[in-house]
Amino acid sequence: MDQFLRQPHVRYTRNRREWLTDAFCGFGSLAFASMEMQAAAIKNPLAAKPPHMPDKAKAKSVIFLFMAGGPSHLETFDPKPLLNKLDGQKRPAEFGEAKYQFVQNDAKILGTKRQFERCGQSGLDVSDLLPHHKTIVDDLCMIRSVHGDMVVHSAAQYQCMTGRIIPGFPSMGSWVVYGLGSESQSLPAYAVIPDPDGALEAGQPMYLNGFLPAIYQPAMLRPGKRPVLNLDLPDGVKLSDRRKTIDLIRALNEAGMVGEDEEFAARISAYDTAFKMQTEAPEVFDLTKESPETLAMYGVGTEPTDDYGRRCLLARRMVERGVRFVTVVHGGGPGNLQWDAHEDIEENHLRMAKQSDQPAAALIKDLKRRGLLDSTLVVWGGEFGRSPEAQGGKGRDHHNLGFTMWMAGGGIKGGMAYGATDAIGLKAIEKPAHFRDIHATILNQLGLNQDALSYMHQGRKERLTEVHGEILKDIIA
Amino acid sequence: MIFSNVGFQRTIAYFTAWVMMAPVPGMAASNTVAPLEKYTPVERRHWAFQPRKTVQPPVVANASTVIDRFVMAKLATEGLALAPAADRATLLRRVTFDLHGLPPLPAEIDEFVRDKSAQAWEKVVDRLLASPRYGEQWGRHWLDVVRFAESDGFEYDTHRSDAWRYRDYVVHSFNSDKPYTDFVREQLAGDEINPKNETYRIASGFNRLGPLRKNAGNQEVASSRNEVLTEMTNIVGASMLGVTLGCARCHDHKFDPIRHTDYYRMQGYFAATQEEDVSLASKEAQAEWKTATETITKEMKALQKQMAKMEGAEKEKMEQKVKEMEAKLPAPLPALYSVTNNAEKATPIHVLARGDFANKGAAVGMRPLGVLLPEGMPELPLATEKPRQKLADWILTAENPLTARVIVNRVWHGHFGRGIVATPNDFGRMGQRPTHPELLDYLANQFVEGGWTFKRLHREILLSKVYQQSSVNPLLEKAAMAKDPDNKLLWKFSRRRLEAEELRDATLAVTGRLNTKAGGPSVIVPVDQELIGLLYKPSQWAVAKDASEHDRRSVYLFQKRNLRLPYMEVFDAPDTQISCPKRESSTHAPQALELLNGSFSNQMAVALAGRLEKEAKTPAARIDLAYRLTAGRLPTPKERAIAQQYLAAGSTREFALAVLNLNSFLYVN
Repeated sequence: MDQFLRQPHVRYTRNRREWLTDAFCGFGSLAFASMEMQAAAIKNPLAAKPPHMPDKAKAKSVIFLFMAGGPSHLETFDPKPLLNKLDGQKRPAEFGEAKYQFVQNDAKILGTKRQFERCGQSGLDVSDLLPHHKTIVDDLCMIRSVHGDMVVHSAAQYQCMTGRIIPGFPSMGSWVVYGLGSESQSLPAYAVIPDPDGALEAGQPMYLNGFLPAIYQPAMLRPGKRPVLNLDLPDGVKLSDRRKTIDLIRALNEAGMVGEDEEFAARISAYDTAFKMQTEAPEVFDLTKESPETLAMYGVGTEPTDDYGRRCLLARRMVERGVRFVTVVHGGGPGNLQWDAHEDIEENHLRMAKQSDQPAAALIKDLKRRGLLDSTLVVWGGEFGRSPEAQGGKGRDHHNLGFTMWMAGGGIKGGMAYGATDAIGLKAIEKPAHFRDIHATILNQLGLNQDALSYMHQGRKERLTEVHGEILKDIIA
Repeated sequence: MIFSNVGFQRTIAYFTAWVMMAPVPGMAASNTVAPLEKYTPVERRHWAFQPRKTVQPPVVANASTVIDRFVMAKLATEGLALAPAADRATLLRRVTFDLHGLPPLPAEIDEFVRDKSAQAWEKVVDRLLASPRYGEQWGRHWLDVVRFAESDGFEYDTHRSDAWRYRDYVVHSFNSDKPYTDFVREQLAGDEINPKNETYRIASGFNRLGPLRKNAGNQEVASSRNEVLTEMTNIVGASMLGVTLGCARCHDHKFDPIRHTDYYRMQGYFAATQEEDVSLASKEAQAEWKTATETITKEMKALQKQMAKMEGAEKEKMEQKVKEMEAKLPAPLPALYSVTNNAEKATPIHVLARGDFANKGAAVGMRPLGVLLPEGMPELPLATEKPRQKLADWILTAENPLTARVIVNRVWHGHFGRGIVATPNDFGRMGQRPTHPELLDYLANQFVEGGWTFKRLHREILLSKVYQQSSVNPLLEKAAMAKDPDNKLLWKFSRRRLEAEELRDATLAVTGRLNTKAGGPSVIVPVDQELIGLLYKPSQWAVAKDASEHDRRSVYLFQKRNLRLPYMEVFDAPDTQISCPKRESSTHAPQALELLNGSFSNQMAVALAGRLEKEAKTPAARIDLAYRLTAGRLPTPKERAIAQQYLAAGSTREFALAVLNLNSFLYVN
């Protein structure tokens, strides 16, 4: 049967709904695991597991700085001088066709007001929108040829996070924890830190475990004093009393056990883990332990960087303590509070960049000086970029055919640009990198084999990369 | 060899008759029409495509039913045997959760334990099957399979405020013991059978249960239509046929003999199907609604236009005004979510290369799965009248080898936690083989001959020794664990954890808070404000004002695709995006955190403590009552001693919380 499983699958094209939509609630994955692994998994299903390819495993953790709404590649990392020359004109026919969510075929090219500068030893271009990024450019690998299949937020966000354009499939974070388990006993293995301004179009399903068991679901951290659901005691209950209650639960459960009972033993140990999380996890959220210099570096305590600065710093504290995957979302709520600059690219991007430029750069520097950058893969990007054409005169529409993401650390080469879009930033023409290629590369840096990281359900071996993603070999150090 | 099989000949005869009966206007084959595929004898030989067999049940000593004879004979070949009968208290708890999703009352346990009549067990089974709680529990299993939810999913996740009517239809169908043939026909084609019949129209909403993507701006009409047709087609394969039909959307199925063309010929039955909301409001009310909606929308648009020119505080103020205006939009009028055939708007169905709507191959008509038809069976044209009734006819013919097997297997799965085929949505080559193929055929034959009714099938299963055996088999445990650790052969009853809804409902029941009101619009319960903040449109989460509604059974809670209740999520409730044939049962720390610190748990602990203190005067009596309510039995001396020691200093509230966390409450033996 295995020979069938390994048959290469046909690659699907865009605009199709996933063909396995009739399948869910996977089961049977354990059939592929050895008996010993099963036994270990019953004791602690989140125990750390060795990667498939230890020699390739450079990163232990991933931080995804998700720039929700789609930042413009044309205003950040992908300078296109021709845009200013063509400003106000129709797109020359030689660049081909593109379909947008809002703007029509007769839209006019919009020039950019941004100034680009070659920075660092590598001389990579960064715009004046991101002055702090200019200082970390030698650690970044700019992938200027990313493309996805969908031009509307929800479907594009699903593809960016889960590899599929419909909800119901596991996110990158869930897959990674499924593959590697957790290094921390007291913190969630996979956390999402959403923007307090509000939710995104694709909603919670994009972050979730899909058909993977519930142990691989993310902890959705919330704004305010109670970042993790159910981690605090209810009002009026003392920790010492609750400890006694947990002891009572254990004693009564043990009294009811007959012989060896792995499932019940696992339930009993889940209560110990829960108590450990309750008592130890809050420490990670306490940023007062950080030096004033570090806080200042992230822009904590200063507007408009305070919020994203705190959340980036929290991400560092989490990976430091063994958390496997952290998604730090920048942008949320109505479109203009995301990078979704339909109305006015200047107003939107200047504001959004000011909030996150310094914190993102600080994260790279901070990880580096602590020796954590080598083992932490940081990924920056949105669900798409923005159109070379204007929307309503000053804005830019969604654009999925070519845009920029960057990676840093985790065994990725710094100070390089990979791939390229055409002269107006419309299409990825050189070394195009689909989301599935980005996913394959992330897995590879963690030492995970995209084909082995599969979950059997409903007659199909499901993978993050669906069929197969190309690892971006050129960017691996 | 296969063609000498009498059953298969009969099948061919049936399908030939089926095609002869059908009107075939305009069948002239065009050059652009996809050819009819061929299927090899090997492909046709797959077990699930074979006609059902009638096998004489083996003769086994001490068996009480035919089911016992099949199961016990198989156990004997492995040197194993059934476990002893479970004790009555355990049995009553098992069957009450099984049929009602709720725990038995202490008085019910006492009555059953005391009843020495030979019919004691039958009486219990009949009582439970006659209760409306039965349809709430078994209807829920079907809702999992058809991925029922009450919002569109995707960006807008628009609420489907009348979707509860379909849920009530399902619950009522189970309670009234509607034959499965009617159940399937009404869902697939209720609008075709009788467009004036409200129940049928509601049932046909089955075809619209999938997620629906809508977006602002440029519309991709063809691709959206393709997504809708895909949802309609795939769910029939998964829910009614138990085949991974969707796998053939992009290319020939990799493992099963389902061709790429088969997929689109199945989709052909839906070519003319369009959504239709049948309003229940009077003409005047509809006109009024329309005027009100248009007026407010117009004002909103005007404000938004002004807003576009504003900045800063002024703009924020205007945004607030628009929001207030939006809140004034009248609620949708009551309507039936149905479908109808619209020949003029019918989608020409083509084989789509890689499933891409823009990549059209040859045109196809409508035809069932070729591997189940005689070679060369022609297709029907897309313009065929009442196409979905045609599909239902084929699905429901007694000779269809899949339909009856698939549904009786779901029932078996519901009772034992594992189907005779352990992959209830996949009877193909990648699915599991049946552990007891003869038994599966026996049950399916009985089901068909008995008029496709569920209660008779439940009864037959529940009256077997196999169902009534203990969940421990002390004499054989070691040997059996070595040979059959997954208990596929049923050498004991498999213990199971309560499903999320059962756990919530049981918690409400034991505290005395459960509101058993049945049916009607779904209830939105309070959740943490932080969670509502994670919604793209937080105003959608309009909590039911009447707090007693919050204590209703879980099947009546609003199922929103983009916000599952954390309590449900953590205990493996499905995400309603795709069909769920089988619940996971995972064990992890966030479950403990939910039950220890969650607001629902803690409210329930207070309520249970109140009940214990009111109904029992001493700590010892409270401990006994707590165990009788939650575990369906008295505590063991050891458990009683531990609890007594705790209560000497601890609070009843914390004790109640502990009881609601115990394995003896969360698991069914």
